[in-house]
Amino acid sequence: MALILNGDAELWAIVLLSLKVSIFAVLISALIGMPVGAALAVARFPGRRVLIVLMNALMGFPPVVVGLLVYLMLSRSGPLGVLELLYTPTAMIIAQVVLVTPIIAALTRQVVEMLAEEYSEQLRSLGVSRLASVPVLLWDARLALVTALLAGFGRAIAEVGAVIIVGGNINHVTRVMTTTIALETSKGNLALALALGAILIGIAVAVNAMVSTLSLQAEREGLRHA
Amino acid sequence: MKTESTTQPVIEARQLDLTFQTNDGPIHALKDVNLTVDKGDFVSFIGPSGCGKTTFLRCIAALETPTGGALTVNGMTADEARRNRAYGYVFQAAGLYPWRTIAKNIKLPLEIMGYSASEQEERVKKVLELVDLEGFGGKFPWQLSGGMQQRASIARALAFDADILLMDEPFGALDEIVRDHLNEQLLALWARTEKTIGFVTHSIPEAVYLSTKIVVMSPRPGRITDVIDSPLPRERPLDIRDTPEFIEVAHRVREGLRAGHTDE
Repeated sequence: MALILNGDAELWAIVLLSLKVSIFAVLISALIGMPVGAALAVARFPGRRVLIVLMNALMGFPPVVVGLLVYLMLSRSGPLGVLELLYTPTAMIIAQVVLVTPIIAALTRQVVEMLAEEYSEQLRSLGVSRLASVPVLLWDARLALVTALLAGFGRAIAEVGAVIIVGGNINHVTRVMTTTIALETSKGNLALALALGAILIGIAVAVNAMVSTLSLQAEREGLRHA
Repeated sequence: MKTESTTQPVIEARQLDLTFQTNDGPIHALKDVNLTVDKGDFVSFIGPSGCGKTTFLRCIAALETPTGGALTVNGMTADEARRNRAYGYVFQAAGLYPWRTIAKNIKLPLEIMGYSASEQEERVKKVLELVDLEGFGGKFPWQLSGGMQQRASIARALAFDADILLMDEPFGALDEIVRDHLNEQLLALWARTEKTIGFVTHSIPEAVYLSTKIVVMSPRPGRITDVIDSPLPRERPLDIRDTPEFIEVAHRVREGLRAGHTDE
């Protein structure tokens, strides 16, 4: 606890890097996952069902395996080896994007599909095509979509398997909270591990608090006019 | 702006047929439906459930596709008319979105159609006045009574300039006192806006009170058994329902409904 309270510089550097990597990963995932999810919700084409099943399966993909696959892609002899990204924060972001995008896409699809059903006849009576209705649906689903983002962030920040493989857990470069906890625990340095664990839990609680605050806020918005 | 002559019918159905394919075999929802609706008409569709009255309204709105016959709306196919936003549709359930305020619900079509923010405000204000809901724009649907919700839903259908208003049993779930009041308001609104209205109901007094034309339908297969051009004046106080003319029209509607039933 003293480590947290004393503002240990090394500890906070690790925390900051964790946040930076995961926030970037979530933003990129949102840019990919939301349009894909929304498109899957409203478009009708052969193979759509298969894609949805695949996407849902990807949600539960083991991080270690994702780490391995990204490693193979980025390693010297891999197809993207020339970029020399292995063991950099960028590599960790890529791995987390692979992990988080399916979550955001799948949750977006669920939310938008439900909403699309509710809006369907109304929008058709207004002469709006299915694809043209996407912006309206995304906007009206915004609260649920923020929840999807936070869920994705939760997965990204807590994940250890993928980032340790592609990041390498290099001190001051790719060492994040989860990888530090794993390392320090095996070294027997429980104080640092516990301090980071506490912060990680704190972040998880904060994220959850934000989710419920958001839904509460929506409710209050309703009550204010009462 | 409008080039079509005033004599062109707003809605014209010729030998309209619609058969639904279901797991239990085909269902003949509409059979040989012929109807002409002129501009400014208030047309009610009345009949027991399964007579195809809602299905016919949905065909006009191009929410359902007929399997035979011809149907034109404003001189176009029904689907072209839908894409041209020829009509506002009031669904059976008010269908307001709970996460949007009343004003925001009414704005939905305007947002989609790309009206400017100031134009949206202006139109919301205007239609809220039309349905007697001034000052309720900031409320959420669940804060309003059923009758008020249905009025908001009508306001939404009026917000853009469709000259046809299609209403599918909009007051079916309301108690009679509220319904009387809304009927009166709807007539006033119709007189002010000069819209052509298609109105589905299963209440005889409601149909007779509101309509210039009453279409009586019967089930299995859904078809028109009588079309009554109402002799009542367009101006109708609620107590017109006690006049002999009103009672006579109601009687004829009832006869039409009964005739449809004995066919079974």
